[in-house]
Amino acid sequence: MAASSFSAAADAIVIASKIDTEGALLGNMMVMLLRAHGIAADNRLQLGPTQIVRQAMLAGLVDLYPEYTGNGAIFFARESDPAWHDAAQAYALVKQLDHDKNNITWLAAAPADNSWAIALRRDVAQAQRLTSLADFARYANSGGSVKLAASAEFVDSPGALPAFAKAYGFKLARGQLLTLIGGNTSATERAAAEAISGVNAAMAYTTDGALAVLQLQLLADDKHAQTVYQPAPVIRGSVLAQHPEIEGILDPVFRSLTLEHLQQLNAKIAAEGDAPAVVAAEYLRANGFLK
Amino acid sequence: MMPRNRVVFVLSLFAFAACIFAGFLTIAPNRLASGQSLTLWQLGGIPGAALTGACVALLALSFVPIARGVEYIVLGLAIAVFVFQLFAAGFLATGSLTSAPHGTRVSLGWAFWTTGFCLAMIAIDALQRLNAGTLARLAALAIIVAATALITSGGWFDGLSLMREYQTRQDEFAAALGRHCLLVAVAVFLAVIIGAPLGLYVARGPQRSAGTFGVLNMLQTIPSVALFGLLIAPLSALGIGGIGAVPAIIALVLYSLLPVVRNTEAGISGVDRGVIDAARGMGLTPAQILWRIELPLGMPIFLAGLRIVAVQAIGLAIVAALIGAGGLGSFVFQGIGQYATDLVLLGALPTIALALAADFILALLAGFFERSPS
Repeated sequence: MAASSFSAAADAIVIASKIDTEGALLGNMMVMLLRAHGIAADNRLQLGPTQIVRQAMLAGLVDLYPEYTGNGAIFFARESDPAWHDAAQAYALVKQLDHDKNNITWLAAAPADNSWAIALRRDVAQAQRLTSLADFARYANSGGSVKLAASAEFVDSPGALPAFAKAYGFKLARGQLLTLIGGNTSATERAAAEAISGVNAAMAYTTDGALAVLQLQLLADDKHAQTVYQPAPVIRGSVLAQHPEIEGILDPVFRSLTLEHLQQLNAKIAAEGDAPAVVAAEYLRANGFLK
Repeated sequence: MMPRNRVVFVLSLFAFAACIFAGFLTIAPNRLASGQSLTLWQLGGIPGAALTGACVALLALSFVPIARGVEYIVLGLAIAVFVFQLFAAGFLATGSLTSAPHGTRVSLGWAFWTTGFCLAMIAIDALQRLNAGTLARLAALAIIVAATALITSGGWFDGLSLMREYQTRQDEFAAALGRHCLLVAVAVFLAVIIGAPLGLYVARGPQRSAGTFGVLNMLQTIPSVALFGLLIAPLSALGIGGIGAVPAIIALVLYSLLPVVRNTEAGISGVDRGVIDAARGMGLTPAQILWRIELPLGMPIFLAGLRIVAVQAIGLAIVAALIGAGGLGSFVFQGIGQYATDLVLLGALPTIALALAADFILALLAGFFERSPS
């Protein structure tokens, strides 16, 4: 009974996503596009956190879902590989590794890079003319007032804040950090927007929809201190072999998804509260991917 | 002067203070901003005055000497004001949205939840003082449920952010609610199928209890997120699939076993030895003694265990969303991720309602068995 409720039409392609805003957006796009091309799709969106969705695919329970190129560093335990800091190399590397090891194919990635970033209150950024992390480092080192809200993971994992600090040469004292155990970017961004406990900077994802709404400005990572996280559809090789046309259906759509597009679409879902399916359909229609 | 009914006194004082000092609605420019909290008085006259006045009336009633007539008035007033408060929230929310931009969100504030809670407690207290029977309790509940349904279907709540969250995912909501109920129903069913015989087995041989309860107690102490997570690897290895409904149901069954086994055992062992000796003397076979004497007499205790299990499973099934099993937890975790409190509530409120409903129904059933031990 329980098992049968999990497996719908036998030959339908099981599409999943992570349990977050962008996962819902990209997953809905995949479901709609496949169905519009007459391919049966089984909607399993918002399945769970990254490890769960990834394990489900490795176990063959999920056929297709959006994943981020930089996560290859964790999947294949190659965190120190410099390739993850370059969009093209990161994509090529994860595509190669996943194909060879798991027979999973990475289709074309979006140009948008949803990496970890630091966002500053816009009033502070404008008053001090800060647009990049190099500016931020100069400001922080010259005694400018900074208080950064971030998750413990962001503060401690070598690829996140320590990577920024090393690349741009700044150091935040303990009193300049507000660390939230298990915090996510919606919490840190809100802390900065509302200046909770004097916070004026926040851990953020570059494609977060909330940034513009909450009057926050992203600081550019010109030196690519961060791992590149471009979203791409990943599909099990055996499923792609049965439906090779999927590549041609999804590739142009993902290639069209720029950082600005994703920020706007995520904002519609997160800030205005529109349904992810509606936002996805609007974008696909407006850009001629759906009739 | 001392209040005669201290329960009503304290609760209505709390409700009154909430009406005056706490925000009744919160108005935010969009779904992410915290927004501005507005008290009833800031929101405008008549509903606020009526609600505050009703709290004062209840406060005054707490000084009247306790009598059945007074309890009836308190009960009626508490239910009426509870329903009125729902209506006022919807009315004021819609009013504050006129000429507001598209993204504006109106959420329920502390004053709403506080007065709602206090009024519900006052009503429950009055029902208990009146020694109300099942029918009277059902009637009181039915009035509130029917009024809420009417206000909702009349579109009075449409201005509230909670309702907006529901409207953008109506289909998903129905599926998640059904899924949640299915997960719980299958898990509780399996827990009874496995747990009741196990309880009987322990009751027949008390020396078996230490080992059995040791294992079940240990299972109970594993944090739910951990248990769900721990099941993924072994199930995947077995080829069942460690993700989705199967591991969720297994975890829920494991948590449900202890109360089922313990209460089955307690129910059967608790049957008076004299009754069993009498039955044996009358020539009943062991099977007849089990079915006609032990099970019916132990049923109230068994049902009490089932009550615990059902309520617990309804709550725990929230976590199942993290292993891809769906259910109402998917709204809770999406809401936490987006910092959207009303989306969290869209998952949490129906869960609470389900738990209360299950508790109520099983309590009714237990009451039925207690009264007619045939």
